[in-house]
Amino acid sequence: MTLLKDIVPAAQNNIDTKFILLEKGQTTVEGQNKICLALVADETAAVHFQFWGDECDAFESGDIICLTNGIFSYQHRSLVLRAGKRGELVKVGEFTMAYAETPNMSEIHWIPDPNNSKSYIQDHVISAVSRIFPSPPSDM
Amino acid sequence: MASRLTLTPPFEAENEFEASLRQAFESLKPTLRPPFSLSIPNPDEYALLNRAILHGVLTEPHFAKTHIKHLHALVTDGYATFLNSLLNVVHHLYPRLLASVKTQLLWVSEETVRVLGIGYDAVLVSLLRQIGGGNCGDGNLWLCSKLVTLFLEQFECLLEDAPHVLSFALYSFLRVLADHCRVGVEKLETLKRLEIHFCVKIVREEFHLSLLIGRDFIRLLQDLVHVPEFRAILKDIVFDPFKFNAVGFEFKDVSQIYSTRTSSRYSLLRISPEMEIQLRFLLSNVKLGHQRRHQMWFARKFLNDPDKEFVAVDIVRFICCAHHPPNEVIQSDVVPRWALIGWLLTACRSSHAVANVKLALFYDWLFFDERVDSIMNIEPAVLLMVHSVPQYIDITRSLLEFLLHLVDNYDVERKDVIVKGVASAFQLLVRKGVVRSLDVLTSCPALSPGLREGLGRLLSCGKVGSS
Repeated sequence: MTLLKDIVPAAQNNIDTKFILLEKGQTTVEGQNKICLALVADETAAVHFQFWGDECDAFESGDIICLTNGIFSYQHRSLVLRAGKRGELVKVGEFTMAYAETPNMSEIHWIPDPNNSKSYIQDHVISAVSRIFPSPPSDM
Repeated sequence: MASRLTLTPPFEAENEFEASLRQAFESLKPTLRPPFSLSIPNPDEYALLNRAILHGVLTEPHFAKTHIKHLHALVTDGYATFLNSLLNVVHHLYPRLLASVKTQLLWVSEETVRVLGIGYDAVLVSLLRQIGGGNCGDGNLWLCSKLVTLFLEQFECLLEDAPHVLSFALYSFLRVLADHCRVGVEKLETLKRLEIHFCVKIVREEFHLSLLIGRDFIRLLQDLVHVPEFRAILKDIVFDPFKFNAVGFEFKDVSQIYSTRTSSRYSLLRISPEMEIQLRFLLSNVKLGHQRRHQMWFARKFLNDPDKEFVAVDIVRFICCAHHPPNEVIQSDVVPRWALIGWLLTACRSSHAVANVKLALFYDWLFFDERVDSIMNIEPAVLLMVHSVPQYIDITRSLLEFLLHLVDNYDVERKDVIVKGVASAFQLLVRKGVVRSLDVLTSCPALSPGLREGLGRLLSCGKVGSS
């Protein structure tokens, strides 16, 4: 099980993680399939998640989801976590997870690791929080 | 493949406990039809058989009686194992059970009462907790109807074997009747009559069971004062207390009820297990300033239509009476109880609901006695008033006005008792350092002089009159 703060972009289905769905964007259609971008987070970090097809309607904000064999990579120049062809999403609960909206792993600029051409490292932070899903105002 | 207990949607894992029941049933299916084996199972086999039979009872209505006969034949522990599994089904799975499974569930629960199985009382209490507040949907009304009927049919048995359960049922149905009376719809008439009959039966025939509830019994009755039977009961409690058969207790005056603190077991009754998990999580794990999403999800699930705003009353009683965070949590940056209550107050629309929520918040203040009451029950109200200065001064003002109004009007005959209660509540909160002093209220320039003076008088009354 990987914490979100430790995920690294790669062209592999190698991410097993658990997170809570904070917010869903609009569901749109891309070719034959529905897609929906969402903000998800665990206690250590947040990231943008790409739901695909039937996944779009199956999950609501507040759901706690387990991802196995997921992939964290660039899709249309944005960095998203997704199940991909070989990954699996399962709802395992709701509500009972605290979360951090910063750092947001999708809002980091990554560069190839000089010591390992197959890997990436963090270069600089583009934004502390998601620029697509702004944080709700602090309340009483 | 055996029938399911719930409908698991796609992308969701089957509940582990549900899976264990189904697997037990599938593996033992051949042995669940007569002739039954006479060999004595070892403990593991016994546990597996109990789970299998439970699954069979819930999913095979035509064979339910056969399964029960089998259970009666092999039981060696007073049905404790069987009832423990049944309790888990109710507590963790009830909201998602298929309708036919719920029917079987109620049937088998009554069977366990008949045989006085060990633990049937916990099952009945868990079923009571599944009655939703402010919910007049068919499923919820069906559950009310099945339960009130069960309690009436098993009345003598319960009275003798588990009278506390009748007391819990009384609390639940008095509360639920307020919802049913408020809605005033034709389809509710028969159910209302039955619920009124049940409540009146306990109060008139076994008054000591009402006394077990403590002061919240009066609070619940007052919400039903427009119903003739309950108006008569209230009148008798206040003016003719000797009318009541209070076995082993000399009931002389309503103030004896006022001075009995209501156990947190009652405030838990009107909170479903799911709601309880979410509320306790909010008050233990979510940081102040970051609770907006969790509050929104909670409201979307439990407060999502106008009828449900009265559930806030039950939630406030729960927060004050049944959720007492330890010091580490109180001193941390976790959402404090007063903040959640402040949010609930703003979530109410009607003035009737707002007034009831405020009464729920202050109820343990009115007759506060350090010797029997807990400071944790009164702490949220004073902190909400104090922390709302100056940014949310309207809240402080409306709460103080309400409190002073309550002191003058709640029970005019016993105003001295109430003044003493509220004053000693304030004094204890200062003495224990919950608030450093009340100057923040008595010297607050944003509050009217009249209000400040009223509070000042109340505080000094208490001191002069204290024994």
